[in-house]
Amino acid sequence: MRAARILVFLGVLILLVLIPVVGRGTYFQHLGFLTFLFIILSVGWNLVGGYAGQVSFGHVVFFGIGAYTTAILWLRGIPQLLTIPLAGIVAALYGLLWGWPCLRLRGPYFSIATIGVGEATRLLALNLENLTGGAGGLTLPTPEDIHFYLAGFYYLAFLLMVGSLLISAWVRNSRFGLGLFAIRMDEDAAEALGVHAFRYKILALLLSGFLVGLAGSLYAQYILYIDPGTVFGFSMSVNMILMPIIGGIGTLWGPVLGAVIFTVIQDRIMTLSLNLWGFSFKLVQFHLLVYGALLVLIILFEPRGLVGLAERVHRRISRWRQARAVIETAG
Amino acid sequence: MTTDLAILLVSAVLVAGVYATMSYGLALIFGVMKVINLSHAGAVMLGAYIAYVLIVGLRMNPFIATVLVVPPLFFLLGVLLERVFVRPVRKAPPIASLLLLFGVWLMMQNIAYIIWTGEVRTITTPYTMMRFKVGEVPINVNRLAVFLVGAITLLLLHQFMTRTYLGKAIRATAQDSTAAKLAGINTDQIDMVAFGLGTALAGMAGALTSLIYAFDPNFGGSYMLKSFCIVVLGGVESFLGVALGSLILALAEALSVLWIRAGMQDFVSFVVLIVALLVTPGGLPGLLQKRYAVRPR
Repeated sequence: MRAARILVFLGVLILLVLIPVVGRGTYFQHLGFLTFLFIILSVGWNLVGGYAGQVSFGHVVFFGIGAYTTAILWLRGIPQLLTIPLAGIVAALYGLLWGWPCLRLRGPYFSIATIGVGEATRLLALNLENLTGGAGGLTLPTPEDIHFYLAGFYYLAFLLMVGSLLISAWVRNSRFGLGLFAIRMDEDAAEALGVHAFRYKILALLLSGFLVGLAGSLYAQYILYIDPGTVFGFSMSVNMILMPIIGGIGTLWGPVLGAVIFTVIQDRIMTLSLNLWGFSFKLVQFHLLVYGALLVLIILFEPRGLVGLAERVHRRISRWRQARAVIETAG
Repeated sequence: MTTDLAILLVSAVLVAGVYATMSYGLALIFGVMKVINLSHAGAVMLGAYIAYVLIVGLRMNPFIATVLVVPPLFFLLGVLLERVFVRPVRKAPPIASLLLLFGVWLMMQNIAYIIWTGEVRTITTPYTMMRFKVGEVPINVNRLAVFLVGAITLLLLHQFMTRTYLGKAIRATAQDSTAAKLAGINTDQIDMVAFGLGTALAGMAGALTSLIYAFDPNFGGSYMLKSFCIVVLGGVESFLGVALGSLILALAEALSVLWIRAGMQDFVSFVVLIVALLVTPGGLPGLLQKRYAVRPR
């Protein structure tokens, strides 16, 4: 069983590594890059929203800050690859700036404040024209060999995704992670047991902001054009909430699973059109309806997402097997 | 200069009426159910669109539409939302209802997009441009009427909350739901009524706003933030607190025009929110505890 699992894992790994070699510049490569990016976002959000239980509606600010840091520094002549870690660090520092007041709030109050953080940051980006180019956005220079360049970013995104997963796994198994879980369950009780809740939450936010900032940096360098409407848009925050919830909030693999499924759903919705009774619908018109309905259905019926669903099915099957075994021995 | 200031102050006071109506809806639901209604923004937005249909499409008198037609419709919507979505997750952690109502908000936005497209709409009525002057200060009749409708609604609601059995039961449930239940109040029913009333107020506030400002399917978001800010400033229980909070926010926004550009006005509500939260750490519950702590037995 264990050997089979490792074999499947290796197979997927080899497939992912081979995609740019076999189909350079194809749609699959693009979809692969997006999936890796979304996994980083999803895993990053999950550190605060899942592990620590502080749902953030404003995580897009890290993405936007990361993207803008990279774009601005690159346009000012800083080596391109050096801007990636800088983007993560600046995003994390921005997290410190708003996390300091906002994380004193708990649960739902924190969530509302983060909506404000998102709005306020987007307004700032729109209005600081000297730095951000305002609503017109920033265009980055196009590299010479675009195919080679994009394939390079595919691998870079892959590496960073693996890195973010390792961080997430480390947090989950560490004393720090246990503290976060305790905060999620009962903040007062956690404090009583000696967990410095505020410090833990700030650290989680910094780490999360760092990862999401890296993703923003990758996005800016891959798309080569950013504007406040996209990289500070509320819809990106919605995506970041939706992915871990689809997969299983607060788990290690749930956000990954959710991100993969979400990328596929989003890709289908954005491109497909329906033909019903002679009317042609573009599915993209309904994307918020689909996302909202997904959110509502998951919270109502399986709050732990696909991971929870899988556990439930697994339990059913093993119980059914036991029952069968009992019947057979009895008969 | 003094006239300019007077104009700013008058317009701030007039806007505060709408803010108060909107925030009272949020405060009512939070007070009774301890649920933060993120679909509030959706209800405000839909209220504006229903008003648009009634006034522009059906040529109804704007104030009959906003006062007599919209609130009952949204009361029903609120009752429906409570029964279908909120009740099943009442026992779950507060995050569940928050995310659920967030999903409802997304759905409402999309429905508005499908029906009315993303185009920015305005409602122009015969009153829109009418104005009279008090001394040097011009006062827009439309805005004054909107303010009066909001203020009268809140006053009537205050009477309802303090004079009737149902109103007292709602307040009792807000103070202590278990004790209210022990005293023989059907708290499930009260929850439903409170959610309905809160949504009705949101819808009505949206309809009133649509008479003053342009709107599109996204427009509820910043108003929800403002409502939350006001609720934090004024507390959830007192009618006076909400009115005062609205006034403070509206004044801060109006005066901010002197220092920052108009496009950044929404930034003010965020700053006020953060400052208010820092001054009363722990946010709403902290505020509540303080209130309870000083209340004599």
